[in-house]
Amino acid sequence: MQLATRSLLNRCFTWLCGLSVVLMVAALFMLLGPITFRGVSSVIFRQTSEFDRMEHDLFGRGSEDKVKTEYDRMMSAAAPIFASMKAFEQELDGMPSSQRRELKAEYESFREALSELLGPIPGSESSLLARNKYGQTRWDRALVKFDHFRYVEDWVVSDHSEDGMLVKKRTPRELRFAGTKLESAFNYLDKDRLAEIMQPRLRVYLNFFTDVSHDSHFFGGIWPELWGTLLLTIGAMLFAVPMGIIAAIYLVEYATDNWMISLIRICISTLAGVPSIVFGLFGLSFFINTIKLSESKSVIAGSATLALLILPTIIRASEEAIRSVPNTYREAAIGLGSTRWHAITSVILPASLPGILTGIVISMGRAAGETAPIIFTAAVSVGAAPGILDVAHMPTPALSWNVYNICTEHEAVEEIRHVQYGMVLTLIALVLLLNGTAIVLRARVSRKLKG
Amino acid sequence: MKKQSSLLRRMALGMVGVALAACGMVQAEETVVMDGSTTVGPIAKAFAEYYQKQNPGVNVTVSESGSGNGAKSLINSACQIANMSRAMKDKEVAAAKEKGINPIHHVIAMDGIAVVVHPSNPVKEISMEKLHDIYTGTITNWKDLGGPDKKIVVISRDTNSGTYETFESLVMHKDKVTGDAEVAGSNGHVKQRIAKTPAAIAYLGAGFVDKSVKALTVDGVDATAETIASSKYPISRPLYMVTNGEPTGHVKAIVELCFTEAGKKIIEDIGNVPPMKK
Repeated sequence: MQLATRSLLNRCFTWLCGLSVVLMVAALFMLLGPITFRGVSSVIFRQTSEFDRMEHDLFGRGSEDKVKTEYDRMMSAAAPIFASMKAFEQELDGMPSSQRRELKAEYESFREALSELLGPIPGSESSLLARNKYGQTRWDRALVKFDHFRYVEDWVVSDHSEDGMLVKKRTPRELRFAGTKLESAFNYLDKDRLAEIMQPRLRVYLNFFTDVSHDSHFFGGIWPELWGTLLLTIGAMLFAVPMGIIAAIYLVEYATDNWMISLIRICISTLAGVPSIVFGLFGLSFFINTIKLSESKSVIAGSATLALLILPTIIRASEEAIRSVPNTYREAAIGLGSTRWHAITSVILPASLPGILTGIVISMGRAAGETAPIIFTAAVSVGAAPGILDVAHMPTPALSWNVYNICTEHEAVEEIRHVQYGMVLTLIALVLLLNGTAIVLRARVSRKLKG
Repeated sequence: MKKQSSLLRRMALGMVGVALAACGMVQAEETVVMDGSTTVGPIAKAFAEYYQKQNPGVNVTVSESGSGNGAKSLINSACQIANMSRAMKDKEVAAAKEKGINPIHHVIAMDGIAVVVHPSNPVKEISMEKLHDIYTGTITNWKDLGGPDKKIVVISRDTNSGTYETFESLVMHKDKVTGDAEVAGSNGHVKQRIAKTPAAIAYLGAGFVDKSVKALTVDGVDATAETIASSKYPISRPLYMVTNGEPTGHVKAIVELCFTEAGKKIIEDIGNVPPMKK
């Protein structure tokens, strides 16, 4: 090949490599950008005055007087709306029955839209569900609900649609009530007035991480999920790390090369490739149904299952680390009269610690993020954060599972997207934090070894 | 070298310590575990929240893994209450008896299975036969129902679902659902699929219906509280909480919450119908 061609090919290859790196970084940003942005909106957002009332009722924060004054202020600011509703109700009673029936249905929908925005209308029956007790607590959601209040969405026949499907048509709700006394309510409640009533202001809701959730995640934070994930991860480490390291020591230091050991090695490699749902089912049938580690789903059963999942990674990493300790170390230790076991604990393990820690780091992130193994063994949709003493019999919510649960099984997911993204971001941050800690730890151990 | 071995020792000691702490566990809180149907899920979650507020110190957990899994959990004593949107099958009862479990059904609410389409679909009503034919794959175009010339996207539920079982016995009369049907894993999933697929049809618990989907009248009947309670709506069914033996204590209180004023209100607010009488 000509030299020129070769250098051209070479340059092309360099460019290609550069391009792929750029693409990867771009993909990472495209993935992390929205997650971070939306996730942060679960903690930093514009709250309305309803948020304070909710927070006071459900979490006992804030002073009662202040909340009450604020609520009274809000109600008096909204009073003209309620007044025109009263006037309209009277007007409605005097109408001919055909017109009344039609307007009554419209009015029901009006009331619903208004109470979703501002909270229960004075005089209406109170609900036991927290989601019906408060108006919108977040300004972004309040604006969405305000739009539903201003506009009615109908699906109508249209000339524009070619395939015979209906098209969405937005009509201002006030047109439905043209000429009635309710019209003044629409004139009164514009966006500025809504802001005056609901008092949107910036809020940094750090308690998102430490609050329990209320009314299936409509309000509150993600503490049970966060705590559950931490417990499961730490529990899995407690099972897997000692077992993994001991297994690795045996495989490297004690085992002789025979068919049994090769078989064990093959098994470990295979184990690493088993889909995680299989571990989940195994955990259910073995830990819960067969050896009855716990009566039902529990943190301990989930931890044990996760431990099995990460065991191969830990064994493999530890094995490599221990194998890479120079033989001279062993020989020197034994030459100085140490026993084999003493040589392992005092010389070989410390020397291989950085490598072992790397294995732990990788598997810790995996354990925190896995969903499938804990579906049947530990995770529930709603529940309290278990105490340390309750891990043997209490199941727990967990970040990974609840992200999935909210987006597929929740009855009103659109209302609580911010919680879902908050959970996703927390999970990512948690994994990064765990990894970060372990990396720092590893660096310190390495430095100590050198020094 | 001394330092490193002490580091190791400290780590090992820490682990042993935590392991010991984990061994000396005591039952600190009373826990009620509920597992099962995604249709009963919203009621169960609201009941759990309400009950825990009334009885601090009791921990009620709810999982939504489907009626079939709820039954399995109860049979394996993995939960105290199985939420089910269908009654236990004979096979399940037999399996329970074999394990010394005596399943007792408590009707906690009535529910209709709403037949839903995308709001842009001009079709407003459907008959039970047409519905049957759509799900067997005999009718495949909306044109046959007076709608646009579009292929029907059939969405069904997984076999673990109680809603599926009820649909199968009330609508399908044990005929098989067409293999072309898409399978969704929960009511929430069905709703999201319908809201995004203009030519789709699906069925889900009436409590889940909101503005993002359109419910069809079935045989000319709307699924409302009255028609469901009177069983005039043709695909109505009871929702159950199943316990092992006659319930006592907290389990009893939760199961019977639906007969209290508070419980009835919760059920209504969620969009289901409270049970008639004990």
